[in-house]
Amino acid sequence: MDQFIQKLLTAAKESGIEAAEIYVSQSDSFRAMCQHGEIANYTVNNSCGLSLRGIVNGRMGYSATQAFDDEAIDMLVAGVKESASLIEDDSVEEIYQGDENYPVVDNYNPELDNVAEEDKLKLVLDIEKKTLSADEKIAAATHVMVSTASSSVRLVNSYGLDLYFKDNMAMAASGALAKDGDKVASGSFRKATRDFNELCADEVSRKAADEALFALNAAPIPSGTYRVIIEKGAMSSLLRVFSSVFSAENVQKGMSLLGGKEGEVIASEAVTLVDDPLLPGGPDSRGFDDEGVKSQTKNVVENGVLKTLLHNLKTARKAGVQSTGNARKNDYTSPVHVAPSNFFFKPGEKDLEGLMADMGEGVVITDVSGLHAGANPASGDFSLLAEGYTVKDGKKDQPVDRITVAGNFYRLLKNIRAVGSDLKFTGSSVCSPSIDAGELNIAGK
Amino acid sequence: MLKQQVAQAVIETALKTGGDFAEIFLEDRRNNNMMMLSGKVEMANSNRLHGAGVRVFAGTRSVYVHTNDTSEAGLIACAKRAAAAISAKTDYQAQQLAYSQCENVHIIKELPSQVTGARKVEKMRAAQGVINTFNEIAQASINYLDSEQRVWIANSEGLFTSDLRVYTRFSVSAIASNGTENQSGFFGPGGMQGFEIFDRHIDPEFVARKAAKMAVTMLHAPLCPAGQMPVVIDNGFGGVIFHEACGHSLEATSVAPGNSEFCGKLGQKIAADCVTAIDDGTMLNEWGSENIDDEGMKPTKLVLIENGILKNYMIDKLNARKMGMAPTGNGRRQGYMFAPTSRMRNTYIAAGTDGEAEMIATMGDGLYAKSMGGGSVDPSTGKFNFVVNEGYWVKDGRIVHPVRGASLIGRGSDILMKIDRVGRNMQMAQGNCGSMSGTVPTNVGQPMIRVSSVTVGGAK
Repeated sequence: MDQFIQKLLTAAKESGIEAAEIYVSQSDSFRAMCQHGEIANYTVNNSCGLSLRGIVNGRMGYSATQAFDDEAIDMLVAGVKESASLIEDDSVEEIYQGDENYPVVDNYNPELDNVAEEDKLKLVLDIEKKTLSADEKIAAATHVMVSTASSSVRLVNSYGLDLYFKDNMAMAASGALAKDGDKVASGSFRKATRDFNELCADEVSRKAADEALFALNAAPIPSGTYRVIIEKGAMSSLLRVFSSVFSAENVQKGMSLLGGKEGEVIASEAVTLVDDPLLPGGPDSRGFDDEGVKSQTKNVVENGVLKTLLHNLKTARKAGVQSTGNARKNDYTSPVHVAPSNFFFKPGEKDLEGLMADMGEGVVITDVSGLHAGANPASGDFSLLAEGYTVKDGKKDQPVDRITVAGNFYRLLKNIRAVGSDLKFTGSSVCSPSIDAGELNIAGK
Repeated sequence: MLKQQVAQAVIETALKTGGDFAEIFLEDRRNNNMMMLSGKVEMANSNRLHGAGVRVFAGTRSVYVHTNDTSEAGLIACAKRAAAAISAKTDYQAQQLAYSQCENVHIIKELPSQVTGARKVEKMRAAQGVINTFNEIAQASINYLDSEQRVWIANSEGLFTSDLRVYTRFSVSAIASNGTENQSGFFGPGGMQGFEIFDRHIDPEFVARKAAKMAVTMLHAPLCPAGQMPVVIDNGFGGVIFHEACGHSLEATSVAPGNSEFCGKLGQKIAADCVTAIDDGTMLNEWGSENIDDEGMKPTKLVLIENGILKNYMIDKLNARKMGMAPTGNGRRQGYMFAPTSRMRNTYIAAGTDGEAEMIATMGDGLYAKSMGGGSVDPSTGKFNFVVNEGYWVKDGRIVHPVRGASLIGRGSDILMKIDRVGRNMQMAQGNCGSMSGTVPTNVGQPMIRVSSVTVGGAK
């Protein structure tokens, strides 16, 4: 690979590309799923992708490949030149010269790569068995899976910058289907960690089964306005979709309503939103972003006030500020966008029980679905299929499903009465504790 | 490209530990994505995907190993790893491969890789010209994409074949704004076609106008009332409801492990008499069509539901073994990074005999969902949720005004039984369907239909 990179940099320079950057992403992963006591699906992946971007006449061109022959070098260089010739974006583009020092972030656990396949297969079979035997009403275990993945990114550019990081993660998941007469309900649970020993069949199977069993007697509630707590899992899903409104790229494109709101109150005082790429053990902890800018921790919202948007070099230059180190590519083929790193509501004082006790009567939403279509970051509107339970006298009462919870993310931020203490990262880098959302509209029966 | 003797060696290596089926899939794919934002080309991105995957079965167990290293040594290493993982006790012998070029049904006239970027930009500019005539459109993103996927597939049953799949799609996403509120509109037609798709099938100006009008209409729409009511769903992307709420539950991925509400219901009535539904990979140059599927099978036209009776599931090779049934040509995958599984192609409710005007006139009060957005479904329970992108309120059988923020929720099996009108004009629309084997192009479709009662989630 070193040889390919050197050849490519030379070819790019000779062809008249003024500044060039090479981004190499390598991933190795393993996944096993089981069905009816045997390994039904066993997938091993190793793949490597490389992208070249470069500046020609002030415009940034992009090209990418997974083949590493001489033809690939010609194709990459020609691809960047054609791409740059078509781009009409007037923003000033740059390949980053580099920072003096980079924070050291070490998330890679070498022991995880040494876990024997046999142990992973044993775990997945065990999870299925325990899910099925959790209760006589559990009719099937679905999507039972154990996976491990390690990935690395290397960023090399024509200014001599050469950065590298490596990360890995293991995950176990189970789904349970509960049946009782005509009634049917599903539940699921997944856990992600860098320590394989933390994956425990009892915990994963029990939580999936419990969720299905509890939902078995779920029914819609009458339509109306309710006091609502959004539990951590559901709130994490919601924040994941709407985190894009904090991107300066979306603001500059008119796809977020936070334009010009820096320094203003956009949320209730209970809300502090943190972007922390240096979080020890965080799912997206790293020392540099996808342009080579060093990572830094910041409060995006502090006690309700919008402190900063998230920036890469291009959006920062346009706004006349410094990059916040939030340049991200969706994958190696993608252009550089803006995205949060480890992004979360700063936890408050009370756990879920405490929030419920304060609410008294209302609804706890535990799961939302249909986010890719039912949540619109441009307007902030969401209308989502939801499940959960009612709360009576501050305690969990009846399971609820087939309801739609509707609202608007910007209004929700302002209505948050309290943020819970139960922040827990489960593999995704955008994460939330449970929150007391005030009042929301629910459509049911 | 894949050489026959290499393919043979890979298959034999993969079967060394007792597997009873082995397959190699090699892919070389060129993608080109372009985006225009506010009238300027913001992105022009090309990439080449390249890699191969080896799959081995032993009974109903399967192993899939894939790599970018498609040298003979790389592929043999991949096969060895698969063989080590499957270790079984059979004495299956691989057949000798015999190359046969699959029939190219979906003729491509102008390969996108032969078309200059400048000509592609012209199409985007034509759409932008229309966007500029809408004062309330604050932002429009115009996307052009094309893809040429070359695949080689060989398996231990003696199959050795190759195919070229060419896709072109053009979409406009428009955002209307009044300063404090945004509403969006989207339209994105495409096909298994080359650049000639712009000669007859895609008019960039029409695409832009449709997306922009939707956004502007919704900006002025009041919130939709919530509750149980009759709903008329228009043709085209309205078919997404069948795709999500029923189609996924008829895929072997859900049926074989017993996770579908339609398990064991072949030959039984699962829908109203007026419902016939089809999954068809043979439709000429359509977005979800195929010359061969990703397991090398010839395309089929599969009747899923006939006059309300469940006739067929969509089945891939591995699930065929689990179910004791034959595969149906539905083995599909995004690319070499995924093992194939049962997936939809062009899936639609067939045309019926009811008049469109009558079904609205006789519905009383309810919702006319002119344009559906996406949705999701839990196949094990059939519970679904769909967004209505463009909806209209119907009062006493007359369309009175647009409404926004509506969604449809319910269970697939309930909805199928409650369809009481099926119109005459079936139309399809393009989608990207994500599932176990990645994202594949699929068409959804239906004529205008009426459902006698659905839960409408609204913000009011």
